[in-house]
Formats: sequence, C-alpha cells, structure tokens
Amino acid sequence: MKSYGALSGRYLKQQRKRSILTVIGIILSVALISAIGTMGQSMKDNMLRQAIYEQGSYHFAYPSGNKKLYDELKNNVLVNRIGVVKEGPQTELQDSFKLTLVEANADLFDLAPLHLQEGRWPQKPDEAVVEQWMLARLPGAPKVGGKAELVGPDGNKRSYTISGVLVNTRSGQQKAESNAYTLMDENALSSGKLMLFVTLKPGVDISSHLEAFAKLGDPFAPNNQVLAYMGESSDDNFNKALAIIFGTLIGLVVLSTAAVIYNIFHISVLERIRQFGLLRTLGATPSQIRGLVFREATTLAAIGIPLGLACGWGALWLVIRLMLSAGFSILQMDDFQLTWHNWIMGGSVLVGLLSVYLAAWLPARKASSVSPVEAVRGAGSIVRESFRRSRLPSPLQAFGVGGKMASKNIRRNRSKYRITTFSIIISVTLFIVFHYFTQESLNLTVDSNEENRIAFSVYKNYSSSDDNGEAARDFIPKEQIERIAALPGVRGVYGNYSSLVGNLWIPANRVNPQFLAVSGLQMETKAKDGADYRIGPAYIRKYDEARLQEAASYLIAGTADPQKLEAQNAVLIVTAVKPQDPKTGKRTLLNMADYKVGDKLLIDWSAMASDPDQASKPIYAEVTVGGILSQSPFGTAYQDGVLTVMAPIPVFDKLVKAVPGETGASLGMEGIDVALEDGADAEAIRQALQALVDSLPNARLVDIAAQQKQERQFNLQMQIFVYGFLTVIGVIGSLNIINTVQTNLLLRRREFGLLQAVGMTMGQLKRMASLEGIWFGVLGSFWGLVFGIGLSYFLFVELSGIQGMPFRFPWGGALIACGAALAVGLLSVQGPMRRMSKLNLIESLREET
Amino acid sequence: MNVIEASGLCKRYGKDSTMVEALKNVSFGISQGEFVAIVGSSGSGKSTLLHLLGGLDRPSSGTVRIDGEDLYALKEQERAVFRRRKIGFIFQSYNLIPVLNVEENIQLPLLLDHRQPDKAYINDLIETLGLSERRKHLPSELSGGQQQRVAIGRALAYRPAIVLADEPTGNLDSANGREVLELLKLAVRQYHQTVVVISHDMNVAAEADRVLRLQDGRLISDSRGGNGA
Repeated sequence: MKSYGALSGRYLKQQRKRSILTVIGIILSVALISAIGTMGQSMKDNMLRQAIYEQGSYHFAYPSGNKKLYDELKNNVLVNRIGVVKEGPQTELQDSFKLTLVEANADLFDLAPLHLQEGRWPQKPDEAVVEQWMLARLPGAPKVGGKAELVGPDGNKRSYTISGVLVNTRSGQQKAESNAYTLMDENALSSGKLMLFVTLKPGVDISSHLEAFAKLGDPFAPNNQVLAYMGESSDDNFNKALAIIFGTLIGLVVLSTAAVIYNIFHISVLERIRQFGLLRTLGATPSQIRGLVFREATTLAAIGIPLGLACGWGALWLVIRLMLSAGFSILQMDDFQLTWHNWIMGGSVLVGLLSVYLAAWLPARKASSVSPVEAVRGAGSIVRESFRRSRLPSPLQAFGVGGKMASKNIRRNRSKYRITTFSIIISVTLFIVFHYFTQESLNLTVDSNEENRIAFSVYKNYSSSDDNGEAARDFIPKEQIERIAALPGVRGVYGNYSSLVGNLWIPANRVNPQFLAVSGLQMETKAKDGADYRIGPAYIRKYDEARLQEAASYLIAGTADPQKLEAQNAVLIVTAVKPQDPKTGKRTLLNMADYKVGDKLLIDWSAMASDPDQASKPIYAEVTVGGILSQSPFGTAYQDGVLTVMAPIPVFDKLVKAVPGETGASLGMEGIDVALEDGADAEAIRQALQALVDSLPNARLVDIAAQQKQERQFNLQMQIFVYGFLTVIGVIGSLNIINTVQTNLLLRRREFGLLQAVGMTMGQLKRMASLEGIWFGVLGSFWGLVFGIGLSYFLFVELSGIQGMPFRFPWGGALIACGAALAVGLLSVQGPMRRMSKLNLIESLREET
Repeated sequence: MNVIEASGLCKRYGKDSTMVEALKNVSFGISQGEFVAIVGSSGSGKSTLLHLLGGLDRPSSGTVRIDGEDLYALKEQERAVFRRRKIGFIFQSYNLIPVLNVEENIQLPLLLDHRQPDKAYINDLIETLGLSERRKHLPSELSGGQQQRVAIGRALAYRPAIVLADEPTGNLDSANGREVLELLKLAVRQYHQTVVVISHDMNVAAEADRVLRLQDGRLISDSRGGNGA
C-alpha cells in the first residue's frame, strides 16, 4: 500500500456486495435518465417527422402572394428556401373526374406534404407527377414514364411525361379531382397569384421573427403543428407550457436520479461511519476522510455510469424488441428510429456524476465530522439512533413479536427508514406522473379511432343518378360485402350512409355552462310544456351492425348491441366535444350536455324542411339514449360544438320518417369503408375490391392504403413509445425499490444474527423483515400517491394551457404503481432472508459492519 | 519537562438538571518515559480523561499540553495532524481497519501523513511484537491478543510523544493481557515512550511507575511505586 488513499479501493473490494449494490443503484439511475431522455427525444422526433409528413416542412406560407412578395422574401437574409406554387387550368377527364395543373418550383417538392411513391419529381416544365389512382383516369392510362395530354398553363393542350406518381390521398379520390404537379417555368413567376412556402435558415429563432414576416403578406399561414414540435410556435404560451411540462418531467427524473444515488451512497457511508471515526482517532483529518469517500464515489461512478448508459440503451432496445415481437409486428425496425443523441448521453453522464458527488458530499461531510470519541466508544454502528417514543401505536404491533420488532426497527433508525421509503416514493411518483402524462399527451397528439384503419372505400360515382329509387339502395349486394369482410387481413367492412343534421332540444339545465363559456356559442332558448330547452345542432348518423360492433369499445355507459338498441328505439351519442375558444384558438375537451343512458333525445327536423310553412314549426322525433361513447368511433373523433347521434339502421329509418320530404331513397348505402388489420396484405385486398368495383355499374375505388399504413404506423409507434416508456420506468423503479430494500437488509446481517442469538427463530425474523418490507411499501405508496397526484395535477394545469381537458384522476397509474410497490417491497426481502437463513450464525455475528 | 501537562480539566455533559460533571478540575503532569496507570471505578471519568489527553474530545474548561503544545488551542485540522504525529492510541476493542493487513494497519498513521514508513523500524516493531509470521494477515484472521499487538504496533509506528491505552487488556484473557502489558513496558524501555493506560485491572496498576486514581471525576491520589520500570 503506497498511500492511505488505497483504503477506499480496499473497502470497495472487501465489501464487494455492498459495492455492487451501490454500483447497481448508479447503473439504474443513469439507465433511467438516459432511457427516458432517449425515449422522450425519439418520441418528439417521431412526432415532428409525422407532422412534417402531414403538413410539410415549410415554416410558414403566403396562400396568395405574388412576384413582389417572392422577390422581397428572396432578398431577405433570414430566408432559406421558398417553395412556389401556381395553380393552372383544369383538364376535364372521363366520368367527370378533374385534374388541375399545378406549377411548382423544385423547392416546393421538398417543403410541401407531397409524397412520391414511384419515379421522380418533374425536372422539366413538360414533366408532371400525379396521384397513383389518377393514372388509370388519364387519357391513354399511361404508366410512369408514359405521356398524357393535359391542358397546359397557357390553356392549350400539351403533352406531359409522367415522371412519377404520388401517394394517394383520400380527399382527392372522394372529390374525384386531383392535381398534376409540373416544374414551373422561370417566366411563370412574374405574373399571377403565387402560393409561397417559406423556411428560414437553420439557427434562426423562427418564433421571434414570425410577427415581422406576417406583416409582409396577408393571409399569412404559419405551419403551426410543425413549428410547435420544433418549439417555435408563434404562440408564446404554448412554447412556455411545453417548456414547463418538459422541464418538470426532466427535473423530476434528474431529481430522482440524484436521490436514488444519494440514498444508496448514504446508506453505504452511514454503515461505515465508525471506521471513518477510527481513522479520525489515528489522526486522519476531515479532508482526508472526505477524500476517501470521494475516491470511492469516483471509482463507483467510473464503473456504474458507462454500464448505466449501456443498460438504458439496452433496456429500451429490449422493450421495443419485445413489443415488436408481441404484436406490433407490422413495424420494421428501420421505421422505428431510436435516435442516439449525444446531448442526452452526455447529460446522463453529467447528472450521474453530479448525483454521485452530491450523494458522496453529504455523507462525506457526515463521515468527516464524526466524533472520534463516539467511534471508539461503541462496538457496533455509531449512527446515533434516536428512538422516538411513538405518538401512535403502529399497526404492525398486531403481528406478534415479528411485527413489534418491525415497528421498532422502522422507528429506530429514522434516516435509514426515510431513505428506504424515499426510494419507493420516488419510484411510485415517477410512475404515476409519467403514466398520467403519457396517456394525456397521447390523447392530445393522436386523434385515434377506427378511421385510421380504413384503407379502402368503394363509392358510387357522382355521374350516376341518385334518384332512381330502389336501385340506389344498397348498391353493393350484401353477399359481396360479406365476401370482402371474409378476406384475410380485413378487419371490418362498414356501410357508408349520408347523415342528417337535426336540431336537438336539450333541457336547459343539461347544457354544460362551461361549453357555452368556452365556445362562445349562443344557443337559442325555447320553451316547451313549461320547460326551457337550448337548441343545438346534432349529426344523426346511420350505423350498420359492423360499425356498432366497433363502437362498443368506446362505450362509457349503456350498450351498443344492435338488438337491444332497436328494442328500446335507442341510439348512441357522443357528448364530448372540443370547442375552440374564438379568442385564443385553444381547444378544450368537455361534455356539451349532460345526458344519461335512458334519457330521451328530442330531435327537431324542421330545419330540414324546404317548405317555409313546415320549417317554422318544430317537427319532433324522439329516441332514447342507449349508450354514451367517449368519442366518435369513425370520422372526426370530437366535433367542435355538435352532438353526434349514431342510430342503428332500423332506428334511423324510423327517425327519418318524420323528416319532411325525405323518402329515404337518398339515405341508402353510398358505399363501403374497408378497415384492415395491422400488417395485412393490402394489395390482395385492393385487387379483390377492384374486381368488385369493376363488376358494379357505377362504383369507384378509393385507395388510401399507403397513407393509412403510414398514419396507423405513427399511432402504433406512439403507443410503443408510451408503453415502452412506462415499462422502462416501471422496471427501473422496481429494481430501485428492490436494491434499496435489499441493501438495507444485507447491511443488518449482524443485527439479525444477534436477534437469532437471543432466540428469535428464522420464521420470526422473516416475518419481521416481510412486515418491514410491506410497511415500506405502504408508506412509500401513500406518499408516492400524494406526490404523484399532485404533480399530475400540476402537469394537467400546464397541459390544459395547450388544450383544455377535464382532470382525469390518475387511477390507472396509481393502482399499478402502488400494487407493484407493495409486491416488490414484500418480494424483495425474501431473497436476502433466504440467503441469511443459510448463513452460519457465528459468522453473521462476527461480521464487521 | 513534562510531556503531558493537564491543568484544571473539567468536562460536563448535558445541560441544567441533566448535567453530569464527568471530570472536575483535574490537574497533573507526566514526564517523558513514564508508564502511568489511571485507575478508578466505572464512571469515575477515566475514559473521559483519556479522550481529553488524546485530543479526541474537548474539555469544558482547562488545558492539555502535549510536548509543550496546547492541544485545544489548535484547530480541528491541526489537532488531527498533531494527533497522528504525537499520540498513539490503543483501544480495548482493537479497532483495526478490517480491510488492511497487519503491516498496513501498523503503517497507516504514517500513510495518513503522506510519509513513507521507515522499513527497518517497522520490521523491528513487527519482530518485537511477535507478528512476523502474520504480516500479511487480515485482522479477522488473528486472535484477540494478536489483534491487540497490531494495535500497539500501530500506536508506536510514528514514534509518538505519548501512547494512550484505553483498557488494552479488557478483552483479553490473563495470559494475553500480561503479554500486552509486557509489550507496553517494553515500549517504555526500548523506545523511551510515555505510556498512559487506563484500567480497572489491578495488575495493570501494579505494573505502572505511577498510578493516578480517579473517583467521581476527581483525582483523589497520585502515587508512585508499583514494581517500577
């Protein structure tokens, strides 16, 4: 031994078990912070990528600009790229399909949400790209590389080479019109209306310049979603809310990391404080003792931190791998980008180091200030154990000697007790808060319902007459629908029907006053039979059995069973709406009206009447509320300020009879939507549907499979992130509890030996330790619950700054976390106790603590 | 000149009604090369006195001078350094560092002072203590008597001005106890050490050059005699 400093290494080596436990503590903490950091950053990257995919990567746009504005922007030093679009003439195609020629510059193809499926972008003014479905509609049905004659910018027909095809969009196919994009001629810039899409140079603080750019042209359209994910929203409150939310989450993780390392280190130093006292009697100065503790910390950090980084990354990788193999199989690993960020890894190392040194500093101070007198006096631990007389009898005392001892042990050593409880509190709090946050932010960012499973639709062609009576009804034969539904990979085939708009007479006291306040809507008040009603619009949709079946999973109350609904003349309703505050533009999720299952809905059809006489008097129809859904299963999940009513076919048909002038003929099936299972072979289904469409006189196929898959993939990715996130937090949290509880027990081996020596049986000891474990679980859960809910509420307040929503008590996270804490608390004492029971009593007594 | 000079030492614990006076105005001097036993019944203030002589505790009043240095005029840090250079401790419960072997335990005070040990002296010490065969053993591999011999070696390693021993034979059987006592006497003879032992073992008192008797925190007698060195 060259120097006394080698002592720290000796301690670490000699006390291998304790050193390992401490290193594990450090590993877990660093793993937690690096995993959460990576997960969070990847999630944000993913959301940004998705927003860019959907909205385009431009920062802001001028929908009606001109050459002057273009030049002005071109000369602005802040501007990086300008995408230019100029709308040209339309080409009329067969079956009243329309194709609009759009001239665009090369930058636009990068900045706009256009997605090339095959081929390349136009490089000359006589090249064009169109959506894939359009190819078949073009004269001569060209392929990529082929030619088509379209009306050129000058209004004369020109031949264009199809250089590539775009991914199909839904709206184009539904409306039977689409765009052909061609490269803009230099001269085209000089005249006419130009749409300009702008990005600023990298490094420019976008949000602070938005206002100045808004003054250049009107209208001005910032790409809000993309800017928001870049942290560059024009809305400062939004940026601030995001900063507070992520600040809170990161702060929470950093704090708990530091706390966990501190705890584990503290225990380790506390237990050896007597030895430090001894060194003091030999003339070690306080700074030498601190030096020893810091040396230990450095060694442990040097081992623990790199391993922690590796474990964090490994845990993420493993969780994602497991999830992928357990059902999220449609995702290829290369679609799922787990991004390595140096700043996260660097930050994790920094937080780890800081935590270790902070954790070492306080115990080191304690160790260096230990009184040598105390050290030489006692034979055992010289941590002053202040036994406080209890104010309340502990419930543990009801469990015999083991329980009595457990309650005394817990009270005996306050600091050790606090440390153990604290690490459980941290784990429970973290889980509850992250569970709450991830669920709510998933609700905020992913409007997910059955709609995003729909990959194909079959529609009636507009050119066909709607008024040929019975023929229009259910234009696709039932057996054909069943055949499609039976195809492998098809999740469901849902009939498409027109919906009606009626006025709902809502009893005045049932209208949510908050809805009126937020939306600023003035709902008309009318009296009927001595009661006041507020009049509000409602969408009345027709749901076939397949749709009702999907609706069942959105039920909050009641039933979606078609037979039961029909028997009660009942419908499903969605009362949840997301009105937008006209002043701030902020949306708030709330209930528009308070309806319960069994209530009557009073619908007034008079607005549908074309005859002014009929329109002046209410035409009532009444149905019962059979079920309440949390959101619309299809279409827009939440309306702005309209109640949605979904009626089974027989109930709908009965309701319609009251509608003036409605024969029901136009309300027959207009088509079908086909939803796919994740990972289904879309091409086979497309071919089957194409065959079906070809066999029908007036049908066309809407193919959005590519878009649907992309959207669905995003939803699934978000879910993987959320559940992966929670799994990582749960696992690391549990390991943290196990580590703390076990460290605590292992360090008390001598004490347990003593208790055995005075006649305590192993059974009694086990009971005692288990009770302590449970008690730690109970107390940790309690405080974890208090802090978890408090912090969740805080996040809720911040989140509702972005989008209003009701506070949902975090039951789910709370139950899982508390249950797990109890179970882990109880289970983690079993291992050390089993090992201890195999130990020689004399050995455990002799062991130096 | 006295190597230890205690004057007017008082030590009080607690406050008001719970106040205990462990030492009451104790004064004495010990000269170089003396082997002094401090005896007294349990609770008489022996250990408190020893801690004060060793600079481990602080007196409520009074001073302690070791080699002419006022121990309690020194700052905490200085006192620690002083302690490691001038005072050797031997405890009843050996208090060895469990992770260090015999040789390392003995050298520890020197290492704490960033000094390379004098090999010849340390070897001589180990030889004298009869630990040559046990050099590389850990404390847990030694008997009680052997452990206490290591503790003596550690106390003597720095050639301190004084060696303070707190019931050094308390945990040992009579044969081992006698051996330890002999070694302490040897230290006085061979290295001209000043040794202060507290004990309620009458054998220790009998071996000492001088016996200080404490009762209720007061020094009640200071007698020279015993067998003499």
